[in-house]
Amino acid sequence: MAVKKDLSIEYLGVKCENPFFLSSSPVGSNYEMVAKSFEEGWGGVFYKTIGIFVADECSPRFDQVNKEGLPWVGFKNMEQISDKPTELNFENMAKLKRDYPDKVMVSSIMGSTEDEWKELARMSEQAGADLIEGNFSCPQMTSHAMGSDVGTNVELLEKYSKAVTSVTKIPFIAKMTPNITSMEIAGRAAVKGGSKGLSATNTYKSITNIDLENLTAMPVVNGKSSISGYSGAAIKPISLRFVAQCLQDPELKNIPFSGIGGIETWRDALEFILLGCRNIQVTTAIMQYGYRIVEDMASGLSHWMDERGFDKIDQFVGAALPNIIPAEALDRDFRLLPKFDTNKCVGCGRCYVSCYDGAHQAINWNEKKRIPELDDDKCVGCHLCLNVCPVQNCIVPGDIIFKKGRKRHPIKAKQQYE
Amino acid sequence: MSKVLKGTYNQEAVSGFDHRTAMEEAARCLLCHDAPCSQGCPAGTDPGKFIRSIRFRNPKGAAETIRENNILGASCARVCPYDNLCEEACSRCGIDRPIEIGKLQRYAMEQEKIFKMKILTPPSKKIKKHVACIGAGPASLAVAAELAKVGVKVTVFDNNPKAGGVLSYGITSARLPQKVVDQDVAAVKGLGVKFELSKEIGLNIDVNEMLEKKDYDAIFIGTGLWESKKLGIEGEQSLGVVSSIDFLRYAKDRKGVDFIKGQRVLVIGGGDVAMDCASAAVLSGAASTAIWYRRTIAEAPAQIAEIEYVTKLGVGITTGYAPTKITGSSDGLWVEFLGRDGKSTANVNVDCLVTAIGQVPRDHSNFLPGNIDAKGDIIAKKDGSTKIKGVFAAGDIVNGGKTVVEAVAGGKIAAAEILKYLGVEV
Ligand SMILES: Cc1cc2nc3c(=O)[nH]c(=O)nc-3n(C[C@H](O)[C@H](O)[C@H](O)COP(=O)(O)OP(=O)(O)OC[C@H]3O[C@@H](n4cnc5c(N)ncnc54)[C@H](O)[C@@H]3O)c2cc1C
Ligand SMILES: Cc1cc2nc3c(=O)[nH]c(=O)nc-3n(C[C@H](O)[C@H](O)[C@H](O)COP(=O)(O)O)c2cc1C
Ligand code: SF4
Ligand code: SF4
Repeated sequence: MAVKKDLSIEYLGVKCENPFFLSSSPVGSNYEMVAKSFEEGWGGVFYKTIGIFVADECSPRFDQVNKEGLPWVGFKNMEQISDKPTELNFENMAKLKRDYPDKVMVSSIMGSTEDEWKELARMSEQAGADLIEGNFSCPQMTSHAMGSDVGTNVELLEKYSKAVTSVTKIPFIAKMTPNITSMEIAGRAAVKGGSKGLSATNTYKSITNIDLENLTAMPVVNGKSSISGYSGAAIKPISLRFVAQCLQDPELKNIPFSGIGGIETWRDALEFILLGCRNIQVTTAIMQYGYRIVEDMASGLSHWMDERGFDKIDQFVGAALPNIIPAEALDRDFRLLPKFDTNKCVGCGRCYVSCYDGAHQAINWNEKKRIPELDDDKCVGCHLCLNVCPVQNCIVPGDIIFKKGRKRHPIKAKQQYE
Repeated sequence: MSKVLKGTYNQEAVSGFDHRTAMEEAARCLLCHDAPCSQGCPAGTDPGKFIRSIRFRNPKGAAETIRENNILGASCARVCPYDNLCEEACSRCGIDRPIEIGKLQRYAMEQEKIFKMKILTPPSKKIKKHVACIGAGPASLAVAAELAKVGVKVTVFDNNPKAGGVLSYGITSARLPQKVVDQDVAAVKGLGVKFELSKEIGLNIDVNEMLEKKDYDAIFIGTGLWESKKLGIEGEQSLGVVSSIDFLRYAKDRKGVDFIKGQRVLVIGGGDVAMDCASAAVLSGAASTAIWYRRTIAEAPAQIAEIEYVTKLGVGITTGYAPTKITGSSDGLWVEFLGRDGKSTANVNVDCLVTAIGQVPRDHSNFLPGNIDAKGDIIAKKDGSTKIKGVFAAGDIVNGGKTVVEAVAGGKIAAAEILKYLGVEV
């Protein structure tokens, strides 16, 4: 029968049946949606951000970036927080908690004053939320008293975190904006104010495309557009970087972290977990594909755990973090040459073109046989060729050459490329 | 000069996907709601779900979906007529061309093998019932797997030394390598099903006795069609005339038809079987291979993909001619044909004539009296039950000869009915 592992994990003292949660956004903005997501296997929800302020939205409000026919590489939205009445949102939350007591309900809130933050925190508690997340990170609020403008201001971060934690015992998570140079500094301020957890990232301020019809950005709202939040697969690398930096910060290293940004598959989720996240949040992939993607997240992660002999997620949370080290600490004693499998090579010459035009002219092109021939002395081992070759496992890591005067020692290289 | 396909009998006709190309193809899938491809599969293999698993980087999950739904998932991936099943139903047809579902299924089943996955295991709870399946073809294997999954004891009998039915003794290795059939059979064995091979019911064992002695709580018959139809013309007994069944079996057993090397071969028929005979002849090194069929290509029962395949191998197909007489001579066989118009004639000189005009059941009347129709097929209801209590049947022996996936579908339905009959709750 299908491999199913115990994916349960504790997050901020709350037992979660699995780490896969909807992140705060339209994917979790009413009773029916959240109920359906629970039925399909999500472990919990960060409910669509609730404020005292009720959003007045523009239309249209989305755009996407594609590359060579692949749509939704990245996704832009101009939405603010919930456009539904505050009371109705909390009613939904209470009903969901009543009907799905084992699923985890996180109330995402955003105030514009200390009192509003307190008020929203109290209402969250009354609605039965297990956790509260402070949205300090929406980059397209129509007021500077809210959103990412607050998330980049350390005084406000501390003050509002304090406001929430002064009125409730429910653990508070500060959701961080990536529109900042050092997220650690903002994170420390939130923790100082009493935040028990951090989540990152929210969306990145962006202009996805310029519309050539109206000479404005996309999407076109009555001939104009705005800078606004970018999410989806394209942001994963940068979000992973922020997570790693926060969790390597001496003051934040033990903070229960929730990872967000471009997660679509179990692999993406696992990558955040391996950096130290105990919780995973998803929006864009759900908007594109639906709640059903959680099936393969659970199944795929179970298979990986099965292969590696893990029984609990706890056994590998943060396992990759110690291996991410400063650039100055890297072993620079050797060159790892690429190895070419001439049986697999289809003779396209892409490695040759890239090596010549973008690297070190270390590949000679055998015109007769249409195959690349490596010049071992010129090759610096950058692996540009390996990255452009269209054939799986055609170029793989080969010989290790130690630089002149460096001592030989064992080297760990990646073996399996997909 | 036309460039024809080259190959040998044991060389696979089509190569499969690797991770990267599988992902490229899966990325074309529209991930449809209520996926029409899934509805297009008679056996309920659920391509919509397994393609989604591939797309979301979970090939092992894909293998699980296939194996759990279709015990012959690996073989079906190679031989199903997708172009009138799942791929015809594919929504992507409305944009350009369907997803290559069969090839993605093959990729997923290759992962099962590579990772030595044991997807189906016998349940801990055993049920004290014993069912005999006669024949080890797709229909019986499907019944056996479904019953074993819930803990029923199953014994499968087959007159051949290998399980698989047509998969092991008919379809050519170029299209369906034996290792793929063995992979499917291993999944059935992994469920604890017992195989009694080289045991012919009615010869070594009497089915009526089986019923009377009550050794078995139910009996399933999936014996298929193993008698070649005769041309019914003069000279049919001549040396050099072989039936498709004997020809293909010989090829499977000896990895090619050695005696055909350098010979001129003529195949009569217009179904998949005729196409397989023709490709087996070409791939075994025949000097020339031709198919003669009495009707048109449009009327031919063969999958268009198979007709394309033999054409690419360089086989010529002549339509609208039926053989009327065969004469053996010192320079081979002379085969006379009459055109559909009743006037045109042809007289063709070849070394070997393969008859592939259809298959009928062996005589089953002794063990299922009153349940046999005029064609010799077993009469069974849609749910697989026959007039005899406790005896069920499905697959080619009931439907007169269709496809592997329909035999699996029939087997799954019959298994559900058998469980009902045995009073097993699932
Ligand atoms: C050459 C050829 C090519 C084909 N190509 C395709 C294709 O490309 N795609 C496709 O979907 N379908 C194809 N088919 C059809 C497909 O193979 C059949 O529909 C399918 O195998 C039927 O399964 P079955 O279990 O009913 O019978 P079978 O596969 O015929 O299995 C029946 C088994 O029962 C055994 N048996 C019979 N009588 C007894 C007895 N008395 N005691 C013990 N054992 C017995 C037989 O020896 C055999 O092993 C092809 C068929 C042939 C002949
Ligand atoms: C349409 C849309 C609306 C969003 N609304 C909110 C919100 O109300 N509150 C919030 O904290 N984040 C909001 N987000 C940000 C997401 O929760 C998430 O942090 C971000 O999209 C990155 O994750 P992803 O790549 O999985 O989408 C929104 C994102 C999108 C695309
Ligand atoms: S990029 Fe790959 S396939 Fe193309 S020539 Fe180079 S090695 Fe061969
Ligand atoms: S019908 Fe086609 S496009 Fe739709 S899910 Fe199935 S394979 Fe994909």
